[in-house]
Amino acid sequence: MKVRILLLLAVASIFSGGLFAQTQAADPVSLVEDITGKIFTDVTENLEEYTANPETLDELVRRDLMPLLDIKYAARLILGRAGRGLGKEKIDEFADCMSNLLISRYSKGLLYFSSEIKLNVLPQRGDLNEKLTRVRTRVTLPEGGEAPVDYAFHKTPEGWKAFDVVFEGISYVTTYRNQIMPEVQANGIDSVIERLNSGQMQLAE
Amino acid sequence: MKKNYSIIGVILLSLLLAGCAGTQSRNTDPENDPWEGYNRKVFAFNNGLDKVVRPIAVGYDKIMPDPFQRGVGNFFRNLDAPVTYVNQVLQGKFKESVSTIGRFLVNSTVGILGFFDVATKWGMPYYNEDLGQTLATWGYDNSRYLMIPFFGPSTFRDGTGRLADSFYHPVGWAIHNKGRWGYFIVRGIDTRARYLDQDAELNDAYDPYVLMRDVWMQNRTYQIYDGDPPMLDYDLYLEDDPEAEEPATTGGQ
Repeated sequence: MKVRILLLLAVASIFSGGLFAQTQAADPVSLVEDITGKIFTDVTENLEEYTANPETLDELVRRDLMPLLDIKYAARLILGRAGRGLGKEKIDEFADCMSNLLISRYSKGLLYFSSEIKLNVLPQRGDLNEKLTRVRTRVTLPEGGEAPVDYAFHKTPEGWKAFDVVFEGISYVTTYRNQIMPEVQANGIDSVIERLNSGQMQLAE
Repeated sequence: MKKNYSIIGVILLSLLLAGCAGTQSRNTDPENDPWEGYNRKVFAFNNGLDKVVRPIAVGYDKIMPDPFQRGVGNFFRNLDAPVTYVNQVLQGKFKESVSTIGRFLVNSTVGILGFFDVATKWGMPYYNEDLGQTLATWGYDNSRYLMIPFFGPSTFRDGTGRLADSFYHPVGWAIHNKGRWGYFIVRGIDTRARYLDQDAELNDAYDPYVLMRDVWMQNRTYQIYDGDPPMLDYDLYLEDDPEAEEPATTGGQ
């Protein structure tokens, strides 16, 4: 029995390894289609459970969405010149803090749009030889109409990864940067991390 | 002559606020917002005004069932059609301008004075143009940020454009020619109600003024490019070194 379980685990790991390799080669458009499609289906099917236990939804988002994102790069862009002289650990700590914030927001958005969510990924434009590209999507809103949500992708050694979300032309990276950079310069990174973490706790209640 | 009082009022108030702007020293974006000191005063003034407007908007949001609220939004959006049409023509977007006429006719009749957006379902998409966007496409693409009393975020270009457009916008026309403020006030409350969800975010921000400016400016660029602005130069965010920054700051003041 034990051997069978071990075998199963081994097969599973090969299988997921295969999936990982496939993800690496995938182009940004299919990445967005596959991953968001998977998350939306899961949320639609298990909406009641996720509404009752939002933490489980946070876990789902962390597991499925985070591998698509390059949060460390986003963190560096956001910190800009305020990141100079900070140790690698501090930047990582800040990036973790940004991940948590993003997960909690994304989960909330998923619950808010709930079962009516529909996503339309527009075809890729331009060639993928560049190191930067944009994936344009349209989210159908429950009250009618569409919200344009774009993702900025860049090429990393682990394949294409998204580092910015642009909603109706409003870039998260730019907007956070213009808030956080001066705050870090005025109050220091530790104070900012503390504030973001406490804000996130408030949101979760 | 009644028609000019409102404009004169806003301009006088702006000058008054500009008069008290002298003590402000902070300048977070000298390139796009050289009038930051003044703008922050107007921002504070508008926030004071919001203490009265917000509760009304909250009440309106509570009382009005969602479908009615959507209808009111559609009604006012439909009234924007003449301004959109003229500016589409000015920008040479003739095909789109035909759709705007079609929408206006369909929604004003079948859509019962614009309360129902039938045209979108019939394949006539909604466009949004104004004189500020026209001037931007004609090459006046950078304009300084300007907070306007009562109206909120704008630029010098867009504020001027808005004033010019108001003379043939139905809501503006009612004010200029008939002295009727009813539509304007209802629209203001309806618009304010739409932004209630964003209040917490704005209030919790490190610098609410900068957040509002950022969000507004980025969204405006997005409108000017009809939803397809050029990609941001993210590399610039990384290459941001303190030595290169200094001349820009001193040069802008």
